[in-house]
Amino acid sequence: MSDTYEYILKTEHVSKRFGSLEVLKDISLSVKKGEVICIIGPSGAGKSTFLRSLNQLEKITSGKIFIRDELFLHREDDHTVDRLPKEKQQELLLEMGMVFQRFNLFPHKTVLQNVCEAPIVVKKEKKDVVEARARQLLERVGLSEKEGEYPSRLSGGQQQRVAIARALAMNPEIMLFDEPTSALDPELVGDVLKVMKELAETGMTMICVTHEMGFAREVADRVLFMADGIIAEEGTPEEIFTNPKAERTRNFLNAVLES
Amino acid sequence: MKSQFFKKYSKQIIAVAIVLVICIILAALKPGKDELLSRTSPEMQKMIDADASSSRKRVTITYNSLFIINYASISTSGANVMSEKYVGFAGKVYQADEGAGKFVGQMVNYTYRMLGCGENLMHGAKLTILLTTLTVLFGVLLGTLLALAKISKKKLLSKLASAYIFFFRGTPLLIQLFVVYFTVPGVFGFAWRDLFNASDAEAVYKGAFTAALIAFALNSGAYCAEIVRSAIQSIDKGQFEASKALGMNYAQTMTRIIIPQSVRRMIPNVSNEFIMILKDASLVFAISLMDITTISKNIMTSEGSYLVFIPALIIYLVITAFFGFIFDKIEKKFSVYE
Repeated sequence: MSDTYEYILKTEHVSKRFGSLEVLKDISLSVKKGEVICIIGPSGAGKSTFLRSLNQLEKITSGKIFIRDELFLHREDDHTVDRLPKEKQQELLLEMGMVFQRFNLFPHKTVLQNVCEAPIVVKKEKKDVVEARARQLLERVGLSEKEGEYPSRLSGGQQQRVAIARALAMNPEIMLFDEPTSALDPELVGDVLKVMKELAETGMTMICVTHEMGFAREVADRVLFMADGIIAEEGTPEEIFTNPKAERTRNFLNAVLES
Repeated sequence: MKSQFFKKYSKQIIAVAIVLVICIILAALKPGKDELLSRTSPEMQKMIDADASSSRKRVTITYNSLFIINYASISTSGANVMSEKYVGFAGKVYQADEGAGKFVGQMVNYTYRMLGCGENLMHGAKLTILLTTLTVLFGVLLGTLLALAKISKKKLLSKLASAYIFFFRGTPLLIQLFVVYFTVPGVFGFAWRDLFNASDAEAVYKGAFTAALIAFALNSGAYCAEIVRSAIQSIDKGQFEASKALGMNYAQTMTRIIIPQSVRRMIPNVSNEFIMILKDASLVFAISLMDITTISKNIMTSEGSYLVFIPALIIYLVITAFFGFIFDKIEKKFSVYE
């Protein structure tokens, strides 16, 4: 794969409607390789929907999605106008790892099996190669001793770190985080954020939907504030957190930071 | 794990062990066949001796050994019909021609026959268990395919599966059995027994068994489809999403993630289905297979012994309890991750 592309991920005029409810309105975003983007905003703003539509867990109603400058998908009025061939799409989708709010680990598999499953099944990699890599990843997220445990025996924070290792095992170029700490007890949030921070430092391209303002402020290259299905404001953490321009951003930040 | 199991069930394990030891001792003390026959009256003894050197057999000896107890019946035909019956238990031989001894002897004899002892797999409880087990096995496999078809996004496939389920749940199993056993060979011009080149009676039994298995499996598939479908749909949507996000396709997601998780949720219902089939299997009396029900009915008809149904019920209960226990263990085994 060549590195000659300008944007690793780009959306143009992406809209999403559930029946008569417009969840995303005309969202355009360009992401460069290595960028860390945090999406903040009130619940119901469409943050998660946007993230999920990037890796096709939701089908967009209209708009274009580019991956590495290639037109991945173009839809208008719920009809696909143009797209890459299925195999090519599949290949590019593997470049996106996703971490969910509710972890979604496979409960019938051990920690190590969770991490190894997709590389073995999807990429047909050799088991011992994958296991070696999985152990490294588990060490990286601080869960080396837990490889034989079932997810139900782990705390939420540990489960989420396994989920991160599981996504990383596929060697993705982009990591999508969908409120990764929202389902955690407050004292467990730190461990997960620490892993994410370290990941950002390695140069991973990340898009995080988050309510952790401190994390966004510290780690993000760019912060998007979404409200009512649009990107209401966009800027560096500095701009957004110290000098928000839009009224809605100010109200939101006041409400969040006060509590 | 192991030691925990023993700790938790220590009382039950000791109780079972004691019962087992007593049974083994009783079985060892049980008088043998020769001992039972040696108790016969001198007249009968004479008949037996005469029989041994004659080509005209007049003496019929029935000997049933059942775990800890055994039973022998010696009767003669022709003039001067004689009949003697003995029960052997715990080192002693008892006369069983009347009263309690007769009752016990009869029960031993009936149970022996209904269990299919001394016969091949096509008889008695062995037939019932074999038919039920194979039916559930094929039923679950077929049910899984039907469930996948039913939840499929392909409209035609889903409709076909629904129609199949509607048909097999909406018609009596007995008539489905008749259709497979009589109508299908009638239309296609073959006979079930022709599938086997065994001796006559054996081929008939095996043919009928095949027909019964097909009818039961087709029927059970419809019920299992609903069991599997509800189990699959009870799996959290997040499991599908995580699989998809990791690049797994539908088949991989189903076979590696969803179905393995569904299995545990299916077990209680499959256990139920097993017990239903066990009881429904008695319908094979209608195509003359020699299962527990048919044998008990035959004993009732030929010997006028209305008490035969009591051991029949007990046999069914014991089988139900045994398989209930097995399914319980399987469920526990699948629950390790919860």
